[in-house]
Amino acid sequence: MTDAEKRVAIVGASGYVGTTLVERALHRGERNVVAIIHSSGNAWRLARWGVALTAADLLNRNDLAKALEGCTHVVNCTRGGNDVMFDGLANLLGVCRDLDVRGFVHLSSVLVHGDPPPPNSVSEDGDTHPATGSYGWIKLQQDAMVQKAAAAGLPASILCPPNITGAYSGYLLAIVDAIRNERFALVDGGEAPVNVVDVHNLCHAIELAIDRGSREARRMFITDDEPVRWIDLVAPLAKLAEVELPLPGIAAEALRRMRDADTAMPRGSLGRSVKHLVSSDVREALRKDPLLARADAWMRRTVGKLGTRVEDALRSSIEGPRRVAMASDGKPLHVALCAQQLRGVRHSCEEAKRRLGYRPQYSFAKSMAAFEAWYRAHTGMDTDAWPLLRLLMQP
Amino acid sequence: MAALVDPVPQRAAEVARAYGISPRMTSRIADLAGHVDGAVIATPNHVHRSVALDCIDAGIGVLIEKPLATSYDEGREIVEAAERTGVALAVGYCLRFRADVVFLKELLDAGYFGRPMRFVHQAGSLGGWAPLSAYNLDRKTAGGGVLVVTASHFLDRMLFFWGFPDGVALRDDGFDGPEANCTTLFRYSDKDLTGMGRYSKTAPLPFGMVLETDRGVVRVADAEGAAIRFIEHRHPSLEQVVRPRSAAPVDDDVFRLQIRDFVGACRERRAPRVDGRQGLDSLRLIEALYAHRQPLAESWYEAP
Repeated sequence: MTDAEKRVAIVGASGYVGTTLVERALHRGERNVVAIIHSSGNAWRLARWGVALTAADLLNRNDLAKALEGCTHVVNCTRGGNDVMFDGLANLLGVCRDLDVRGFVHLSSVLVHGDPPPPNSVSEDGDTHPATGSYGWIKLQQDAMVQKAAAAGLPASILCPPNITGAYSGYLLAIVDAIRNERFALVDGGEAPVNVVDVHNLCHAIELAIDRGSREARRMFITDDEPVRWIDLVAPLAKLAEVELPLPGIAAEALRRMRDADTAMPRGSLGRSVKHLVSSDVREALRKDPLLARADAWMRRTVGKLGTRVEDALRSSIEGPRRVAMASDGKPLHVALCAQQLRGVRHSCEEAKRRLGYRPQYSFAKSMAAFEAWYRAHTGMDTDAWPLLRLLMQP
Repeated sequence: MAALVDPVPQRAAEVARAYGISPRMTSRIADLAGHVDGAVIATPNHVHRSVALDCIDAGIGVLIEKPLATSYDEGREIVEAAERTGVALAVGYCLRFRADVVFLKELLDAGYFGRPMRFVHQAGSLGGWAPLSAYNLDRKTAGGGVLVVTASHFLDRMLFFWGFPDGVALRDDGFDGPEANCTTLFRYSDKDLTGMGRYSKTAPLPFGMVLETDRGVVRVADAEGAAIRFIEHRHPSLEQVVRPRSAAPVDDDVFRLQIRDFVGACRERRAPRVDGRQGLDSLRLIEALYAHRQPLAESWYEAP
């Protein structure tokens, strides 16, 4: 099939990777890309080009079949709730088979190996033991669905990126915010390895994979292929957050305890279930029903009459004390982000290099420089107004 | 809520069912004549004009969601029709009903913070509101991009605070579609005041305004119940929270306040808080900014 005959659908085109894929095609002057989005809310970066955007709901198979009609290749960049991740993917794979799609690229994640990943996950043959229900677990189930579809005749590739860097990176933004708000601490001076991939390197790998799907659909790690340490990642971000190095430190064991406390699943009991039923989260959902909303209002009024102290004691009994992990100076840490330093494994992209001919287009340094250039422009750091604008960054 | 109008009757019925109400339902505005005092026009922007003119012709006052229309000329048609017939015309710049906005205007008029010299305002989010029709992603149907969808709320307040600027500039990242990011610049020569606005639909920016005066710096987050914070140059280690002494509870539901104001305008034949002429000024400012469009630089990557 010639390039002119190809028609590539980017499903989930309004996300970070999907948008970058479409923009790369536009910059190359290609018009054979079909941008499929779920809703218009997040599609601004694409819409500014004036490209046609096709809206489709993965949960509606007819909708999807109509959107994908005439497409020869499909890239799946979608993300959503469990219904989208499972039923939506099943619909997508089914429609691809019906339409005799020639190539399917599925975006998975290195997290299929678990968090933290086992030491043998340097390569894709490593064990896969993600916690049940976690994002990595969902991705692992999805991979199995794609592999089944591939075995049935849909040529497919599964790419597993780590966190994604480069201009517009939400991951790097989150770290800058955590550093600025004193919610980030380095483990062991930041010597642990960090796995990242520039968004353009990932898109390059996707472009290579479009034509190289197989019946095995083996997973491939897509990384920057450089020995990057956490300190290499956070030092330039600290500069953007206008925070002096060194950053606060934390012992690996202390962080491990915080992470385990954060992710521990409570044991089931009737009392706990009743408390859950009357917790604010559940009540908020129930209040959408007018009758239950009235009952809830009555309950709150009644409790309110008992006074603030009783009300606080009841709230504490139901929802428990607020569990907030503290850094050494008393500021709450962003545990999920900091705990990524405990992963310890450097995933190798040798398989992608061998099978796809993948070579990262941008070095880690260039990726970080791109993020810095974007961030400075986005926030106005280099403008005369920065002394005023930076006040808005403060809590 | 006396009536729901939608060209697709099923959609009106779904709304009525969702809210447990039984209003009159129709697909034609003409059916409403004599049955309602006013109408809220919450259609895509490019049909504001036709729907508003139909309502005004039928003697029905209108509260039009911002912007008033997709162009100054269309907006002027609406304003002139309302003025000719004497029906109420309000524009949905709901943030003008926020207590901190009203109070800040009082403080600025009283010169409480000194002489304003420079201001910045910003608002950014990764995406946002997603209308089913996706009209917001088409320059023709929305009347513009993030400048119209997000920045216009501040443009309205800026006009309210300081009037119409005599110098404007705009940088944005739109090509054949609506811009997702923009930076605006303003100058008020007579007041020796300059300003900058930064807006994004591709990444977060903390919502808020900072005003530098000859006496200090005022900071206000752009949020319900936000405090007005003031740091005087002569006491840089102190941050004062400026609030009215009255402890009376304030209704902070801007949509409810806006509807009440509009109903009052319809029934009492008085001007609403944000009237058509003010909505028209916003359109004039938006068009002046677009007339000065320059591309926003975005070459983030060095060559591989």
